[in-house]
Amino acid sequence: MIARVDRLQTLIVAMLAALGVMTVFSARADWPRQVAWVLAGAILYAAATVFDYRRLRTVAPALYGAMLLMLVAVHLVGHTALGARRWLAVAGFPLEPSELSKLVLVVVLAAYLARSERISWRAFGGALGLVAAPAALVLAQPDLGTTLVMCAVAFGMLFLGGGRPAQLGSVITAGIVAVPLLPLLLHGYQLRRLQIFLDPNQDPLGAGYNLLQARIAVGSGGFFGRGWLHGLQGQLGFVPERATDFVFATFAEEFGLLGSLVLLSLFGTLLIRTLRSAGVASDRFGELIAGGVFVMVFAQVVENVGMNIGVLPIAGLPLPLISYGGSATITTLTALGLVQSVMVRQRAVTHAQRPISPLGTITRRAET
Amino acid sequence: MIQLGGAAPKPRWSMRLTSAAAAAVLVVALLAVKLAQLQVTDGQQLASLAQSNSIHRVVLEADRGIIYDRHGVPLVENIPVWSMVVTPAGLAEDAIDRAQELATLARIAGVTEEKLVSQLLAADPYESVTIETDLSQADELVLNERLPQLPGVSIAQRSIRHYRDPFIFGHVLGYVGPVDPSQVERLRGLGYQPDEMVGKVGVEAGLEALLRGTNGWADVEVDARGQLRRVLAMQAPVPGDAVYLSLDAGLQKATAAALTAGLARYHHTAGASVVMDPRTGEVLALVSIPGYDTNLFTRGISHADYSRLLKDPDKPLLNRAIAGQYAPGSTFKMVTATAGLQEGKITAQTLLSCPAYINVSGWIYHNWASYSLGQMNVARALATSCDTFFYQVASMVGDVTLARYARAYGFGQAKGIEMPGVMAGLVPDRIWKQLNCGVPDLNSDACRWSEGDTITFGIGQSYLLTTPLNQAVYVAALANGGNVMRPTLVQAVADASGHVVEKQRTEVTSTVPASADNIQAVREGMREEINPPYHMNYWFRVSGVPADGGGKTGTAQWGGSGLDLPTHAWFVFFAPYAQPEIALSVFVERGELSEVQAAPIGIDITKFYREHASSIRSR
Repeated sequence: MIARVDRLQTLIVAMLAALGVMTVFSARADWPRQVAWVLAGAILYAAATVFDYRRLRTVAPALYGAMLLMLVAVHLVGHTALGARRWLAVAGFPLEPSELSKLVLVVVLAAYLARSERISWRAFGGALGLVAAPAALVLAQPDLGTTLVMCAVAFGMLFLGGGRPAQLGSVITAGIVAVPLLPLLLHGYQLRRLQIFLDPNQDPLGAGYNLLQARIAVGSGGFFGRGWLHGLQGQLGFVPERATDFVFATFAEEFGLLGSLVLLSLFGTLLIRTLRSAGVASDRFGELIAGGVFVMVFAQVVENVGMNIGVLPIAGLPLPLISYGGSATITTLTALGLVQSVMVRQRAVTHAQRPISPLGTITRRAET
Repeated sequence: MIQLGGAAPKPRWSMRLTSAAAAAVLVVALLAVKLAQLQVTDGQQLASLAQSNSIHRVVLEADRGIIYDRHGVPLVENIPVWSMVVTPAGLAEDAIDRAQELATLARIAGVTEEKLVSQLLAADPYESVTIETDLSQADELVLNERLPQLPGVSIAQRSIRHYRDPFIFGHVLGYVGPVDPSQVERLRGLGYQPDEMVGKVGVEAGLEALLRGTNGWADVEVDARGQLRRVLAMQAPVPGDAVYLSLDAGLQKATAAALTAGLARYHHTAGASVVMDPRTGEVLALVSIPGYDTNLFTRGISHADYSRLLKDPDKPLLNRAIAGQYAPGSTFKMVTATAGLQEGKITAQTLLSCPAYINVSGWIYHNWASYSLGQMNVARALATSCDTFFYQVASMVGDVTLARYARAYGFGQAKGIEMPGVMAGLVPDRIWKQLNCGVPDLNSDACRWSEGDTITFGIGQSYLLTTPLNQAVYVAALANGGNVMRPTLVQAVADASGHVVEKQRTEVTSTVPASADNIQAVREGMREEINPPYHMNYWFRVSGVPADGGGKTGTAQWGGSGLDLPTHAWFVFFAPYAQPEIALSVFVERGELSEVQAAPIGIDITKFYREHASSIRSR
């Protein structure tokens, strides 16, 4: 079993988590707590590796129901912070259900799409329906970032699951059509963030401040960075949310372009390894889980780094394994553990034992 | 279920997986490219932005020098005031919290929220903005208590000028006020801050360069909340010099009291007096009434207060002692007498008649008395203030020579005293009249100097103008035997460590071109005027002041020509007669009877001086 674990992935995850704790320490957040969460996440990572992911298929409907319940509960009894109602107190710990729901959605969609080889229009509609409910609840918190990740996960999994070009095209078209409706859907501050992104000079005192300061911090890092614990912007508190949403700015200032490229390479390798795990999955469900986790991590890295360097609008999202935060750290580590579970239970070399591939192209290649 | 052993399967890179991997690589590469651009290409510029975010040069304002009287009595002090300082970028990040914070700040500062916001918007978000320059002690406590909940806000302390007895010393000290917008550019070159206080009038303005000191600076690192983290480098400010005036606080108060009481007795509202030491030119007292509260200006005067001062018919902002220009009237007769004696037109013994009037080419010029006072010499003419006597002398001397003597006594010259705004007065002559007659044809009758101009010049009328300061310098010259002294207000200047860096030097600006005997003859007239049998002696006896000195009253007409013109009352005086120690001028605006309304004021001042001479003289 150990032999089949993707040890490179584990190494990368460990390196990222270590960098994360270092950055959180430098950002003067509660680093011992972050260490505790990483350790808890590591245990869940190991547990998920050992755990047979295929058993999740049967509990997927229950997980889905639990997720919806939690998201509704947030609206009813959740804690409010920074103008959004996102937290639930579970056994004294603040829990952010929207973080967990990303992974739950991956599992649920994987189970749903794995039911058949091809995605019928009906299954396509069902999948969209499955996403719509939690996405709407999360958007109402309001949490634009997680909503976007959910949409990305749905699209990505439909793509990897063999969605027809027409289906994927209709999703894209719907997205384009929805853009003019954004002002109606978005909360005031979200819309404002979007406007500020398009023109940061509009409000240098308010929302634009975050963007401007993050850019300044990243830029002032230069090639080699100011050195760990020596970031001027981060240390002096000019970077807002410097341990969470803007952790990348803190990192980039202290470690420079060199460090940032290392970080991006680590993420890139992790993403490729995750896709590779999908490629060796013994069943369609496992392949879709690995693919979903890929999309989940990919979307968060892109959005987080993108908003930190000012190429994407600000939408509060953690940088996986780097940002301070229990729910996010644990969710990401569990998700990557599940990928290892898929890895461990990869298909045998012998073609006979291989179940029929869920993906058309692979099927074709297998037939030749 | 778990496949144990055997070789790992070759991953199947389907089209979709491959394209997903390609997308991941592409997007991460794009982020890397953008990152490289940001960190390497724009890095330098953004790094300097980061620097200016956090490193600020703070100006450390120097304490302004204190102004003391001649005995070291402070006339002004620097008192601490607190102000609210806001760093816009440090305010609460959340829009709702920020709105709440701004509302709290506006309430404490006592300004409207709109005003506060517009002030913050106008400023650089990373610079600190001073919101309220004058928090009360209570406000300061409230703000201090709430500071932890008010990100981006701090309290700054600065010193503000507080003038003691502004109504008495105000016209001498003047005041400081915010830099005039029109002056900002010029003063910035001298290192002034836009919100710095600068001397506006009086000694504060005249000695600005000494009093101001040298501002220091500190390069400090502040965090996003505007809180100081560390000081990188600093240059301590050098406090301004302490200035010791020649003024005696007690005499100044007594002069103001005597003047105020004297004016009030006859319902006058404006006047001035200058007391100086005729041996040195040191001004011992300089009062202009009405005064005003100079403390109103130190925090930036309100529009209402300022327009009230401007509209006051008594013009409290006008320092009459140095800038009020009036005809000297009969107090000028000593000049005419000096000229007549020195030019050989008369001698001390020459007797001239003193008729009720004289006729000059068809025009009648009256004496103050409607009857003849008989034959008299120059001393008696001065003592009785016979106008017709001096008409004759002026006519003999001529306007050009008279003007020369007037200038020799310091008339028509702005005195180089240590404050701005000193007016020169005016010594007219035929050229002046031709140039200033106000009609286009300079050869018309209106522009021609007439004999009438000359003879009225001789009794201090005509176009002659002087100031109370000029009058004091003039009478000091008569007191000391003909030396026109440069009047001075400053006795010494000491640096912050108490080291005297400058001492005043006595300076004779000019000497009256007259022999000692002739000047003595004029002085004799002034001595007689205050002694029996003349009326003025009554006021000395009433006050219990020995009539030892020389004085001259004057009731000067103003506002055109004619018989029933309004007048100003003057009194000039020096004492004691043999070795004069003080010379003074008293001016009563719209005074009608100088002997009754002006002279007693001067006598009261002399009385105080005589009673306190040793303490005033002591160092």
